[in-house]
Amino acid sequence: MLVSEGVAAAPPRESAFQRMMANGQLKMVLIFVPPAILIFTVFVILPMIQAGLFSPYKWSGYGPVPWALNEDTGRTFGRWIGTTNFERMMSHSAFKQSLVNTLLVIGVSIAIQLPLAMTLALMIYRSSRINTVFRLIFFLPYVMAEVATGLIFSFVLDGNYGLSRSFADLMGWEKAFFPLAEKPWAFYCILGVIVWKYFGFHMMIFIAGLQSISSEVLEAAKIDGAKTLQSVFLIKLPLLWPSITISVFYAVLGGLQVFDLVMPMTAGGPSNSSHTLVSYLYNFGFIRLNIGFGSAVGVFLFVVGVAFAFLYRNTVQRGQ
Amino acid sequence: MISWKEVGRIATLLFVSSLILIPLSATVLGGFKTTGEMRVSPFGWPREWITEVYVEILRDPQFWTYLWNSLVISLLTVFLTLILGSMAAYAFAQAKFFGANFLYSYLLLGLMFPFAAAILPLFLTVRDMGILDTPWGVILPQVAFGLAFSIMFFRTFFKQMPDELFEAARVDGCGYIRFFFLFTLPLSTPILATIATFVFVQSWNNYLLPLIMLNDRDGYTWTLGAMDYRGEYSWAWNRTLAFVSATLAPAVVFFLAAQKYIVAGLTGGAVKG
Amino acid sequence: MAEVILNNVQKRFGSVEVIPDLSLRIADGSFTVLVGPSGCGKSTLLRMIAGLEDVSGGQVTIGGEDVTGAEPDKRGIAMVFQSYALYPHMTVRQNIGFALRLAKRPKQEIKERVEEAAEILKLGPLLDRKPRQLSGGQRQRVAIGRAIVRNPKVFLFDEPLSNLDAALRTQMRVELAELHAKLGATMIYVTHDQVEAMTMADQIVIMKSGVIQQSGQPMDLYKRPGNPFVAGFIGSPKMNLLEGRVAKDREAIVFGVRPEHIKVSDEGGEWRGVVRHAEHLGSDTVVYVDAEKVGALTVRLTGEVPLRAGSPVWMTPESGNVHLFRADGSVERV
Repeated sequence: MLVSEGVAAAPPRESAFQRMMANGQLKMVLIFVPPAILIFTVFVILPMIQAGLFSPYKWSGYGPVPWALNEDTGRTFGRWIGTTNFERMMSHSAFKQSLVNTLLVIGVSIAIQLPLAMTLALMIYRSSRINTVFRLIFFLPYVMAEVATGLIFSFVLDGNYGLSRSFADLMGWEKAFFPLAEKPWAFYCILGVIVWKYFGFHMMIFIAGLQSISSEVLEAAKIDGAKTLQSVFLIKLPLLWPSITISVFYAVLGGLQVFDLVMPMTAGGPSNSSHTLVSYLYNFGFIRLNIGFGSAVGVFLFVVGVAFAFLYRNTVQRGQ
Repeated sequence: MISWKEVGRIATLLFVSSLILIPLSATVLGGFKTTGEMRVSPFGWPREWITEVYVEILRDPQFWTYLWNSLVISLLTVFLTLILGSMAAYAFAQAKFFGANFLYSYLLLGLMFPFAAAILPLFLTVRDMGILDTPWGVILPQVAFGLAFSIMFFRTFFKQMPDELFEAARVDGCGYIRFFFLFTLPLSTPILATIATFVFVQSWNNYLLPLIMLNDRDGYTWTLGAMDYRGEYSWAWNRTLAFVSATLAPAVVFFLAAQKYIVAGLTGGAVKG
Repeated sequence: MAEVILNNVQKRFGSVEVIPDLSLRIADGSFTVLVGPSGCGKSTLLRMIAGLEDVSGGQVTIGGEDVTGAEPDKRGIAMVFQSYALYPHMTVRQNIGFALRLAKRPKQEIKERVEEAAEILKLGPLLDRKPRQLSGGQRQRVAIGRAIVRNPKVFLFDEPLSNLDAALRTQMRVELAELHAKLGATMIYVTHDQVEAMTMADQIVIMKSGVIQQSGQPMDLYKRPGNPFVAGFIGSPKMNLLEGRVAKDREAIVFGVRPEHIKVSDEGGEWRGVVRHAEHLGSDTVVYVDAEKVGALTVRLTGEVPLRAGSPVWMTPESGNVHLFRADGSVERV
């Protein structure tokens, strides 16, 4: 600030708050921020808190909250049962199976889907017309709704029609083979469809990352004597690390949410063997209107999600 | 000169493409086949092109109701997410106010857990507000869950805008709010398009929320309609496949056209070209 | 140490012909600068020598060996890129040693050679930093270090100084010239900046549209430009290239005279004009004059000359320093 000689004393400094008032910042903040905060709180945060509060009750959802007094019966709407919901959940074989299945989704996404996506991305990241066509084809499954994908594959895997029938014919089996109704196969099919549907999504992330690598760096490596594979492993993959971490993040968070594909394909069957955490929650919480139990499952999902987010932030993201 | 390496590359790519395109073409073609032919030749070219199934679906007013409901819900979700998200992000990017960091971290909580975790209390909230079975019961939760990521992307984008622009406008007597509508929004079309496309895709394809919030058939979105249809005509795959094809076609065309923005959304909001 | 020979080299991108047919000999140990406006094919030519672009026709030899189809790392060359192209995830030490590591040299040898290169370039204290922690000039040195360590027969530079600020560019120019003197290797340097060409080269090759316009020692090009393009490209401020009556009277297409080869007087001379603008640099005064009959002229005078906009002046081109470019392609100095 320029101080001219005629000024005897600097004017009293206004507080940050006064300055905000004066230049209209405060007004803007007061108009712009609250709507988002309000809607976010009402539909995201409060329900999550409620899930925590409801989880120790047995409650059908009748009445405003489980602990309110029902004047007609003279008792509360829900019944306090402590940790029973969690104990029941943990000992429920279908829940354990759904947890294993969810972990399988995440495992397959990371161990099979990402390498596949990376391989294809390396094949078609350069700009050319033919590569653009392949990119569009590979991206196609991602933009299709899960429900539509699920319906298509329940046809493909239908024992009386589709691929499964052709396979059974080929093997000369007398009886039709219904993989979606056979115990270990049902969920393997879902895993396969997940890879089918989402590899293009991860491929696109990798392509964007590969395209942002400076071509001069790759040429420098070529002059230094790097062969194709050396340039992939020593230059491209290390430089793609940010893209890979984004991909892993989506794979885990997406893996925790799988639901839409399960419903049309198996709806969790046969005998509850192909549930994911979310379809388990839907089936045993929502369908049976067991709000307390469903909330307990929700709390579990929440804890897993947040634990992963913190783990991710403190390990993978720290380097960046 | 074509090298063996190139031949191998193209062969691999063609193989993967066939894994994608064969089920899809079987779906589209299935609607042109009779149930009998479906059994014999599920993947082949139709012997005789039967158009009744498609015609019947396209003439069914219910089919158009489903699409209309999905469209209304998706467009309103996009509109509200864009306006609420960009306003809040602008405040976080432009102003330093007490609690700004806290509020921003608070919003980012929404990125950390799957939204299905709170689905039951959410259902009760929507019920108690009296908007169950209305489009709002789906729209408002979708907006709420879309806010976290859209605010994050908007804020990053707004922060990259040159400060001089705002300073120049201030010298000309333009205040914060007017600047937002006259400068920030018009200059943000790439990020607006990215987030709009992304939110639209999510909403259009959503199944869980409509499943929980909508009970009345006339209010169904197309995903619910498709599942319903499958249940109703479980004996006739050609009908379900025709239904899926008819709903998928316009969406797929739109999404592929907008894929640049979807990809930009995946990679942190940077749109090229 | 090697000479580089290009024999009838051609380059096409699809149907676009970037280099129609070019032959050039670059002497062993020379510092050759390829210079020309952007899009003239100079970078493409360099990349063809490096092996980063395929040659559509013709032959490239380095040190007597035909390398036309050879891989870049088998040519005995090293290249410094415009963006430096450092590997961002590696330290300076790893960057410089990368080529040796790929060539499977023993660890001890890599260490020694990296440190030797670092010594030459004064990079010692920076060896364990990552590129993003370095300044522009330091990155530039690392890029050069990466080239030195391979002991190449030929160094290739692709506009290496264009990302540096003016002061650093001047300093690096000197360092590069010293490096050339020290190593004695053949260096081929691409730039669009004629000052870099004039100050560093012992051979300049001027290109336009994929065709060599002229090549030779800097002073030869300055004194005897072969055509108006070369005349206008070399020298700053640009040579005055006059068409019209002045040229026609002397049976030429273009009449060329450098700004420093015009005498100014307030009493009399060949052309009369009025000063439009004058730049006073202290050491020089550059005067822009609207001259009768010949049009706009630039004149450069040594020292401070008190000319102002509006001053009337007389001008005379120095005899012996006028270039007459004839229709048949010949040039006469009068």
